[in-house]
Amino acid sequence: MKLQWVVVPVLVFVAGARIWLRYRRRHPRSAASSSRPSHPALRGKVGLVASREIRERLRGRVFRVSTVIILVVVAGAILIPKITSSPSPPEKVGVVGALTTPQRELVVAVGRHTGTKVVLSSEASAATADQALRSGKLDVCIDGDRMIVDESLPTADTFVQSLSAELGTQLAYEQAKLSPVQSETLARAKPLEVVNLKPTAKTTVRTASLIGVILIFIMLSQYLTWTLMGVMEEKSSRVVEVLLAAMRPIQLLSGKVLGIGLMAMGQAALAVAFALVLAEAVGSSLLHGTGPVELAAVLVWLVLGYAFYCWVYAAAGSLVERQDQVQTLVLPLSIPMIIGYIFALIVAPTGSPSLFFDVLAYLPPTAPFEMPVLVALGRVEWWEFACSAIVSIVCTIFVARFAAGIYRRAILRTGGRVRLRQLLAGTRG
Amino acid sequence: MTRQLELEGLTRRFGAITALDDLSFSVPSGRVVGFLGPNGAGKTTTMRAIFGLTDLDAGTVRWGGAPVGDVERGQFGYMPEERGLYPGMHVGEQLTYLGRLHGLAPSDAAASAGRWLERLSVAERAGDKVESLSHGNQQRVQLAAALVHDPEVLILDEPLAGLDPVGIDAIREVLVEQAHAGRGVLISSHQLDLVEDICEDVVIIDHGRLVTSGSVDALETSGARRLVVRVEGDRQGRWAQDMPGVKISEVVAGAARLVLEESVDSDDVLRAAMGAGRVTEFSFERRRLSEVFREALG
Repeated sequence: MKLQWVVVPVLVFVAGARIWLRYRRRHPRSAASSSRPSHPALRGKVGLVASREIRERLRGRVFRVSTVIILVVVAGAILIPKITSSPSPPEKVGVVGALTTPQRELVVAVGRHTGTKVVLSSEASAATADQALRSGKLDVCIDGDRMIVDESLPTADTFVQSLSAELGTQLAYEQAKLSPVQSETLARAKPLEVVNLKPTAKTTVRTASLIGVILIFIMLSQYLTWTLMGVMEEKSSRVVEVLLAAMRPIQLLSGKVLGIGLMAMGQAALAVAFALVLAEAVGSSLLHGTGPVELAAVLVWLVLGYAFYCWVYAAAGSLVERQDQVQTLVLPLSIPMIIGYIFALIVAPTGSPSLFFDVLAYLPPTAPFEMPVLVALGRVEWWEFACSAIVSIVCTIFVARFAAGIYRRAILRTGGRVRLRQLLAGTRG
Repeated sequence: MTRQLELEGLTRRFGAITALDDLSFSVPSGRVVGFLGPNGAGKTTTMRAIFGLTDLDAGTVRWGGAPVGDVERGQFGYMPEERGLYPGMHVGEQLTYLGRLHGLAPSDAAASAGRWLERLSVAERAGDKVESLSHGNQQRVQLAAALVHDPEVLILDEPLAGLDPVGIDAIREVLVEQAHAGRGVLISSHQLDLVEDICEDVVIIDHGRLVTSGSVDALETSGARRLVVRVEGDRQGRWAQDMPGVKISEVVAGAARLVLEESVDSDDVLRAAMGAGRVTEFSFERRRLSEVFREALG
């Protein structure tokens, strides 16, 4: 793991904390500066709201069912390829006559290279070999300079083709009467190394990044919908007025998105841990080659993506109080996510991102899907990653401030869907 | 010195509509104040303004002489007009949660929640979800939510609406008890007979403006004098119809309810009644609160 991936976020965090502390020292909050002065106990309210959110949702059937579904999907993604690509049965190779020692070694070596277990047996004559092939007792038979197969039998093509080529080459060496040293040199011939100026990620890494993007999309969709519905339910049940008599709107909003966000992270961490343990246990190659950097990138952008969108969805939830009104809001809100997701799905398997894709990786609404793919493809430097993350964090701060204003003005307006226009026109609630 | 909640010059405009227009009044500790006005008069907006739930264009809310902030609001209890609790949350847990939001320690909040549920006769429903409760029991739980942190001031928007007589008695008892314990209580209601029973003071507003305020006693004894006169043989009160300065406000069961102008001598009225027949009832009456309300609003 590259050191800078750890050092840079730590430095950014420390620098941010220092700037914040300096700002707080220069601008201490006083009772005179606000009609609602700060109080130490008030900060604990965010935690209370968040813990209620977590407690109630953990009890709910929706969370338990969705967790089970996610784990089942993860298990399926790991186990199904493993089951369908189970090792082929041993290749039964009959030999009419006898093989030389080099030939015998060659058969075993080809079997090893093609991942095929080879069982050699001696056949008395071509006729008995033919009968054994037809009855399925043999898969392939070596008879002098011929290899015989029964096409109706499921033979391992790669093995048979490789073996015929190798045995043919060895036969040619013998016929050319080469010295043992010359034969050995030719036998050890390796193809020239091909160097690609554009490094291409391994298939397994690309697959893992694809899974990561799908995970981000599923989890963001689920938890952002929860946020929207949670805010809407507090409005429609009118409990929000009781709550806002005890705390500020920003505290209630922050507690809610924090609680749901922590659940999202917990569920994601559970899914990832489950995937790693299961993959290790069954020896799946799906996650092989996925380094901690790729994994961290997925989790970081899950956090940043949720942090960016949760405010938008919460503000949207404060505009409505009925399920049918929610439908009209969700589609336009999810369009940027869907765009980012589709482009990531297209690019991750091919491994060749376009300039447009690179641009999307720096836009906060689409970056959660594009940046993990670029990281997995090895197409992004650490500072580019950090730059995109900082852009996202800064935009999140602005979006949160704007959304909190919308929420504060809209949450107590009941009796119909609140139009954004009304709020922005300055008629306060 | 008793502390009081003071509302001073509250003004709130929604576009062209003025919801509150320089509204000022106070809620002293130890008193139950009725907050009256027709629909749309600005009662709910006023109550929301006390909790900072609506922005004010002008005016301040003070508690004990100091402007109200988060800490002060933490000592107020609120029952909004549109009742609201988490429908799927258990009653006891919900009250404990609200107590904690008001700064109580977990054990204190749980104990207080249990105490209030007991006091309001819904203790056996503590483990049930709010949505499974009847309307009346939800109303009791809602009141418990306003009381769970033992507030200094109670602001209750229509606390008696939709309750049966037993529920009304239970809530009335608690409100009076709270006032006796030194808390200030402000309740809005359209049930004027109940307000008359419960409240010591009333504030009447219309179009966001203060119309009148004062103690129920003072308001009921002020204004034009009222006489109830029953004359045998004249169940319609015809004998009083042409008397100058005398207005028949209503006739109930053969007794005429008369409103006298300042200049009218009640002895003259008695003489006129005796002239019409045998007088079987002649008594001065206070204004009822409903009359105060109607007369105040013109």
